[in-house]
Amino acid sequence: MQPIPTHDEAVRQDFVTDFRAFLTDEIYPKIAPYYKSKIEPDFVKEHGRTPEDKVEVQNIMLQDSGYQSWSFLQRISQQMMFTSVIDTVERTLEDLIKKTKEYSTLGSLELDQSIQMPRYLTAYDIHQQPGGYHTENTKNDISAGVVYDISLPIYSRDAMGDENDLLAQATINFIKNNINTMPKKILDMGCYIGNSTLPFVRAFPESEVHGIDVAAPGLRYAHARANALNASVHFSQQNAESMSFETNTFDIVTSCLFLHETSHAAIPKIINECARILKPGGWMIHLDVYPFQRNAVEPLYDFLKDWEVTNNNEDFSGALREMDLQGIFEEAGFSKETIEFTSAEASSETNEGYTGDFYLKLPVYVAQKMA
Amino acid sequence: MAKKITLPRVAKGKNLVYLDDNSVDNILAMVMTLTQEISVLTDRLDTIEHLIAKNDQIDLDDIDNFEPDYQLQEKRSERRKSLLKRVLLPIEKALDSK
Repeated sequence: MQPIPTHDEAVRQDFVTDFRAFLTDEIYPKIAPYYKSKIEPDFVKEHGRTPEDKVEVQNIMLQDSGYQSWSFLQRISQQMMFTSVIDTVERTLEDLIKKTKEYSTLGSLELDQSIQMPRYLTAYDIHQQPGGYHTENTKNDISAGVVYDISLPIYSRDAMGDENDLLAQATINFIKNNINTMPKKILDMGCYIGNSTLPFVRAFPESEVHGIDVAAPGLRYAHARANALNASVHFSQQNAESMSFETNTFDIVTSCLFLHETSHAAIPKIINECARILKPGGWMIHLDVYPFQRNAVEPLYDFLKDWEVTNNNEDFSGALREMDLQGIFEEAGFSKETIEFTSAEASSETNEGYTGDFYLKLPVYVAQKMA
Repeated sequence: MAKKITLPRVAKGKNLVYLDDNSVDNILAMVMTLTQEISVLTDRLDTIEHLIAKNDQIDLDDIDNFEPDYQLQEKRSERRKSLLKRVLLPIEKALDSK
């Protein structure tokens, strides 16, 4: 389903990949030594001590043109990534939309025109993707989904695999190694284009796999994409805060980099819904990016870790890790002794078909519904 | 004929200022886009050079259908890196810790 770029579009996108690699490999590693030798000593001279938290580090770093130059370049590299793929999507969109009709036999797609977009999706464009994930620019639009799909390899330096699914492989490795289950029904929440949903179809071929999201352009593309990749998934347009599934339906409810795009108010509702739609004894597994323990040893790293929050339109991701998720899980009715905040791993060594020496270790939030 | 579909190009969100003021930020953004276009031109020229080395005549489709092999892609990547190094030298220098 992916569009084919022209020569110049392709090399324009290649430039962004190399630009981002340059920032990561050549510029970013200079920041910590620069801070230690040039920035921190001035602070010590003035205050008689080193900065004690990320706010103090932020106050001095935002005044420094060296740091701000890197930060700005990092920010615009994301904008250049989107601009360079939008050229391709805009040029090919009409044909791509036509193609979705050919790719529609496997699984299902159910859209709900009456759905309200949550404010956390519309207040600003997450990840700086122009128009966000939900905007419809034409009838039966899939453009936001396509833009997301073909920008992922640029964002990840081609590390996510041909089907952009390495993150979900980590969740599946975790399930296979730690949870003894043969799920009959699986739900992926906030599935968007289904790149993290399809691996569940492959890993558990006997199971019925569902994906929900609020954004129609992503779901339309997800359904066509799944068909093009010969996978059967039931996609429906729903808000995870209040789903139409019946109580006690699923053996596994999962999500991939979804929770940190929601809100304080949404999290308890989503977790309550997970508890409701899981069968007794069913498992909830969310994979998300941010560790729960603040690194108090070096406030510089605390500050740098929050870079995406402010600079890449990820407003809630910093706040999520301050939330009492343990308490929210217990409140929702998950067995206290099964709640775990741990890590899931995937790598190009353990998972076939991935380039480079990519290794990934991301937090997973796991809990079992009381039997 | 149906009206051509145009997609949004600018993300909604806070307008942050990084350097001295917005106009300095804008100039740096423009410099990076121009650098990108130099890279595009260089790659296009490289493609044409590869094509004419093997063909008496070429047409526009040949350019779009040209697929650089792994070695050529690596070579282009290296060239982009050296272009970036030259363009971003002042910023690398500003972050020098010595």
